[in-house]
Amino acid sequence: MRFIATITFSGLLCLTTSSFGTTTGYTHVPGYASLLNSQLQTDTAKNKKADTSTVDTALLKLSPQRKSGLLELKLKSTKINPEKLLTYPAVSIQQYLKGQAAGLYVQETSGEPGTMQNMFMHGTSQPLFSAREQFQTQPLIVLDGVTLVGEHPFSFDIQQYKFNRIGPATNLLTNIDMENIASIEVLTDIAAIAAYGPRGINGVIVLVSKTPDKANQIAFNSFFSVGQRPQVTTINGKYENAFRKQFYDKYTAAGRFSEDDTYPLYLSDSLSNSYYGPSNWTDLYYRNSISHNVNAAISGGVERANFRFSLGNVRNQGVADKTVLNRYSTQFNINMKPLQWLTFSALVNGNRVERLRNRNQRDRFGQMNYVPDLSTPLSPNKEMYGNFLSNTDNGFDDNKTNILEGSARMAINVGTFSFASRFGADYNEGYRDLFYPKTLLEGNSYASNYYGFNQRLIFDNTAMYDLKLNSSHNFHFELGQSITWDTYKYNYGYAYKGFNEFIKLNLLDGGGGSSAFPKQLLYKFLDKTENNLLSFYGRAVYNFKDNYTLSALVRADASSNAQPTSRWFVSPVLSAAWNVKNELLSTNDLFNQFSIRVSAGRLGRIEHFDNSAQGPQYTAELGFTGNITTPGYNAFAGLTRPYTYGWVGYGIPWAYADQLNIGTDISVLKDRLRLSVDFYTKTDKNQLLGLPSYAEYGYTQSFESGMSVNNKGIDLTISGDVFSTGKFSWTPALNLNFNANKLMALPRNLDQIIINDKMLKVGEPIDQYWLFTNEGIYTSDADVPVVNGVPMKYNGITLKAGDPKWKDLNGDNAIDFNDKSLNGNALPKVAGGFNNDFKYGNWNFGVNLYFNIGRQLINQEMANRFDFINQESGNTINSVKEITFWEKRGDFSKYPIYNPWSTVIPYRIDQDLFLENASFLKLRTVTAGYDLSSWFNSKSKRPGKLYVYATANNLFTLTNYTGQDPELVSYTGYDNGYGMTIPKTYTLGIRLGL
Amino acid sequence: MKKIILGSLISLSLLSAGCKKAIEIDSKRVVGEKNMWLVLEDTRAALIGTYGLTRAALADNNAHWLYGDVRPGEFTVTNRQDLKAIVDNNLNASYSAVEALSNWRRWYAVINSANLFLERVAEVKAKDPRYTENNMTVDIAQIRFLRAFAYFYMVRIWGDVPLIVSSHDGQFENVKRESQQKVLAFVESELIAAAALLPYKYSANDIQQPGRYYNEDETRWAGALARKLTAYAILTHVAAWQGNYPNVATYSKFIMDNYGKGGNGFISTDELTRANGFFNEKKNNHLLGFNFDFGHVDASFTGHIEEITLASPVVNKPLPDIYLSKDSILSVFNEAKDQRFSLDTLGQPINARYFTNFNGKYPIFSKIKVIQGGSTDPTFRIFGSAIVVTRLEDIALLRAEALAVLGERDGAIEILNNNIRRNRGLDNYNPLINGNLIDAIFKERQRELMGEGHRWYDLIRYAKIRTTMPKINRLIENGGIYWPISRNLIIQNNLLTQNSHWK
Repeated sequence: MRFIATITFSGLLCLTTSSFGTTTGYTHVPGYASLLNSQLQTDTAKNKKADTSTVDTALLKLSPQRKSGLLELKLKSTKINPEKLLTYPAVSIQQYLKGQAAGLYVQETSGEPGTMQNMFMHGTSQPLFSAREQFQTQPLIVLDGVTLVGEHPFSFDIQQYKFNRIGPATNLLTNIDMENIASIEVLTDIAAIAAYGPRGINGVIVLVSKTPDKANQIAFNSFFSVGQRPQVTTINGKYENAFRKQFYDKYTAAGRFSEDDTYPLYLSDSLSNSYYGPSNWTDLYYRNSISHNVNAAISGGVERANFRFSLGNVRNQGVADKTVLNRYSTQFNINMKPLQWLTFSALVNGNRVERLRNRNQRDRFGQMNYVPDLSTPLSPNKEMYGNFLSNTDNGFDDNKTNILEGSARMAINVGTFSFASRFGADYNEGYRDLFYPKTLLEGNSYASNYYGFNQRLIFDNTAMYDLKLNSSHNFHFELGQSITWDTYKYNYGYAYKGFNEFIKLNLLDGGGGSSAFPKQLLYKFLDKTENNLLSFYGRAVYNFKDNYTLSALVRADASSNAQPTSRWFVSPVLSAAWNVKNELLSTNDLFNQFSIRVSAGRLGRIEHFDNSAQGPQYTAELGFTGNITTPGYNAFAGLTRPYTYGWVGYGIPWAYADQLNIGTDISVLKDRLRLSVDFYTKTDKNQLLGLPSYAEYGYTQSFESGMSVNNKGIDLTISGDVFSTGKFSWTPALNLNFNANKLMALPRNLDQIIINDKMLKVGEPIDQYWLFTNEGIYTSDADVPVVNGVPMKYNGITLKAGDPKWKDLNGDNAIDFNDKSLNGNALPKVAGGFNNDFKYGNWNFGVNLYFNIGRQLINQEMANRFDFINQESGNTINSVKEITFWEKRGDFSKYPIYNPWSTVIPYRIDQDLFLENASFLKLRTVTAGYDLSSWFNSKSKRPGKLYVYATANNLFTLTNYTGQDPELVSYTGYDNGYGMTIPKTYTLGIRLGL
Repeated sequence: MKKIILGSLISLSLLSAGCKKAIEIDSKRVVGEKNMWLVLEDTRAALIGTYGLTRAALADNNAHWLYGDVRPGEFTVTNRQDLKAIVDNNLNASYSAVEALSNWRRWYAVINSANLFLERVAEVKAKDPRYTENNMTVDIAQIRFLRAFAYFYMVRIWGDVPLIVSSHDGQFENVKRESQQKVLAFVESELIAAAALLPYKYSANDIQQPGRYYNEDETRWAGALARKLTAYAILTHVAAWQGNYPNVATYSKFIMDNYGKGGNGFISTDELTRANGFFNEKKNNHLLGFNFDFGHVDASFTGHIEEITLASPVVNKPLPDIYLSKDSILSVFNEAKDQRFSLDTLGQPINARYFTNFNGKYPIFSKIKVIQGGSTDPTFRIFGSAIVVTRLEDIALLRAEALAVLGERDGAIEILNNNIRRNRGLDNYNPLINGNLIDAIFKERQRELMGEGHRWYDLIRYAKIRTTMPKINRLIENGGIYWPISRNLIIQNNLLTQNSHWK
């Protein structure tokens, strides 16, 4: 409530300085968005028409009606019909949109419902090192004009282990019940995204809710779905022992590499039932999952006021580790027209998302920041594993997220002038209450409480004016202003060694749990960051005879995260469209549509971290490896320069992107064949990059501006009514994106820079791996090349028998970083979908395929398995073995038997030995549906629609990749084996409308 | 139409003024330059910050002990491959801890923080009348001490290092390595200057620091900060490292004459080895110590010798990372009645002070064992021991060493007997039993200071005096006693050259 009060207050503050009524505003008006967008579809033109017609029946238009002439200005966008997506048992926008739009690449890195997923539109603008860059490259999602706020990754600063963000870490884009959505547009064209400002720089996905209808209607939709338990091959200690034996046989004399070498205890006793007995843990880990979805909506009203209200529940079970997502959603839309010239509309979309998360040990130890003794891994035996699970069940792990979007919009239409004002808010809050009982951790309990929110408040105004000089010349003018306030905050506390198992206080409450936990082992954190943006823009559109359209937009943006000396950023966008069909081919029968469009412009890139605005700064970073959250010394807070974070100086300008789009839409043969091709080139300039430097001044790196990255490529969408004779029709539609990424410049005009394990080189893609070339094995010491009596060394260590043969690229008879080369791509060169719709009478069928081509992965899971000596040596988080350690994955025969004790670390992951082609083709959906409407209408007094369907998902994946499903790997491209299988699911559903 | 546009423009410009507040906000997460160096709380935070950075440099990857106690190779490594590489003097190996130990960035963070303090402290003096002249003098002396200490520590690890004495804020430039003689000369002059200004104690009405230091009482500061004796202690170490034994004698004499003023004293074996004894919390007796006080919620899982030495039954961990084998223990602790460790007539250890589980496969070196706040609860491996860089026994033994080298045998023997051997239950030094005096002093150092990060440097001094250690003498000759300079540093700064031994 406090937030709303604050907001109203600051909203008024801004308002009072202007005379209300003449202030123009900037809105994300759904109707207007489509005005500038082509009607291109990934499926069929027929659907498109059906879709538009439903919109047309809406009683009240939120945006001023436009003359058809202006509609001809076509910018690249992909419209997706949500109806087509509903048969997929998805919960997140990412899942829905995967493979649906050319240029939108979705990573579903785990089958665990509700986990984070990544979207990249037209590649990435910066190298993806961590969650920071991931956050900075995600597209903007807009729901009815409310730009959704993401979860800021600033909490990773206090996390030693950054596997998951603290808190519920729930995918915030699980907040859309697709049943409520009327249209989805994917915008990548600079002229289209510029209207959304610097937050839309990575592309924009516009969702528009279903509009209320004056006719009273009820809709009921539901499905029930079963996920199939995966069949896996399990292994036990015997297998692992045999695997290791080959190394001992080859490299040790007496089963010990050295005096001090110790063989792991759990493999030492071949009579132990825990490790050498049956490996049947899968009975407790995998299951057949049962999911459902129910949604009911009612809409109604009178001529001047109407509403739509919907309620929904989704329960989505994962097939592994008893993971579940449960969502309750409600949406309410209302439109009112109190006066002929005044409209008012409001939206509330509320979602409650609860998750049962996986029980990975790594995630648990990472959360606890404590690694217990790992010498005894989980047993593959069902009984033993069951004991562990029941211990887990004695604790709790409650993850709750509330996500709320609200907006209120008032519009005035007087003749050709219109004015709209919107107040919107997106607020999401997450809670995680966690308790691990004593039995899980060597007699120490652990509790943690998290509460955090991300909040965006939006106040914007748009004024529009249409001018029609005569039948040939049309003008449209628009002025907009927008201000958004983003606030991100969390309170976090954790404690160890509770006095007993029964007092479970919230550590964040006043008492702070000090009666339940020793106060010396109770840690609390608070953090908050803001990011405000003030924008103005003006736009003029000119249209001549429906043949030519020109548009110019200029915007000025001021960000609180820009340095004071360069607070404002002004950027222009120009676009033009030419309707070739109208002008040259109006009598041509072949072409039904032929238009060409071009747009070019610049748009600022929002900076998400407020450190950048401060210039040189001070912080409390007194921690060290393994203990990073030390705020002081001797119980006083300390302040130092941010030596670990890195140097931030003055003179950091706005980062921005220059983008050019050229596209054409063609449809021929009576609209039976439709083609849309778009070429784009986008160069993100002046981006910040942390350059490792100034170590002699204490800094790990220096944040400097000047990184420039180009993404260029082609979006292609082609669809055709191959058969449409009589009752049968077949409409295939292919969408794909080819993207090539290239580093254009580095700060300080460097040619290349090494950052961690990555090399960035101007002229090369930024998603490449930097690897040694593996050429086999030295079978004897004599095999190692000798130059001038000195045998080849790796970083000063003489190579010996059993070490890998790494290619000496520069021929200096020494292997070091100069012998690494850039290889492979972590993001695919080509990604897309191939969707087929068949129709026969009342039957319809769909087949969707999803593919990635030209993507390579590092099979880290295999590297870790072979590098067992080092992995197990330190009792660190890297030594953690999950229960899935007992699952046979990968092709063991691919790798040479190196000496795992060698200090050159033969199975290091920075070599091409573990690089694999991860291209794949996946059968994502097969669906069959039957329209029972006519039968229903013959039985019912009230006319309606009834449709039943059955769907099978993820039936197969074709790939050469030897690890798990290649989709289950995040943006870094390192397959650590933690991705949970995306299940095969079988769904039965019903859709009823009255 | 025109009116609308004009009106809009005017209102837009007004609006921008009203919303200026929204875009001109200060970060809630970091302190910008304009809000720093204003009041004495800022100098306190910056001072504490520099201490914290020093502690972080010592504690990171347990560097202090890996440099000092692991590298000599007397401890045996069980499973950790990175520690094995250090023991094998294989310091180029690509393990993250080895790489971190060859990177001096954390020490330069201390230096940069100190340089910045020295450049900016006058601003606070000018702005905040509460910040007294004396407060500033003492702060500056501590900062100069910390900077000098950082350089000294680095010289021992890397030999020649870049000597940077100003912050170069925003105008950073690469600097080449300076000869260690020059760096040590700088260190010595800085320490002498600091020693002159530092008090014996804080908030204890010392003539050089009257009143309550930063308005806190004596116990709050006890042992946490650098004091006059601290500066002399490090001066002693610097002189010893240079082999300048007359200076060792001079500086250590000051400490031996004045330690009472600093609240210092020689400690009993029980105090030394009790879980809640010497290493727990902070004490005046920590001549230079960096505490991890459990009571201050400052205990940590890493940054303590306990992390690598303790294991079952002292803590829940099956194997220690390093241990001293039975044979080694017996060869080091070869005198009866030694309260630290010795065998009784039946061949059983008389106590478990230094070593627990002596008869097991892995004797646990448990001299330092501050679990939580000094408890014996083995279940949770969080440690509260302070990093004690030097203490009175260390200085006394350095003095004995100096006197022995300088030929003042009686003085050396007196210190050895009165200050160390007697306190540990040993009979007086007897050349017939204990052998050469120098050998006896170094053996005493080894026993007394085991696990406190001294052994590597002791071995080098010993090898220089006695030249009976061919392996170490060879390393001294070819520069192999130093660590390689991290490849990452050389990539960043093209003026740096690798230590010849590691090329």
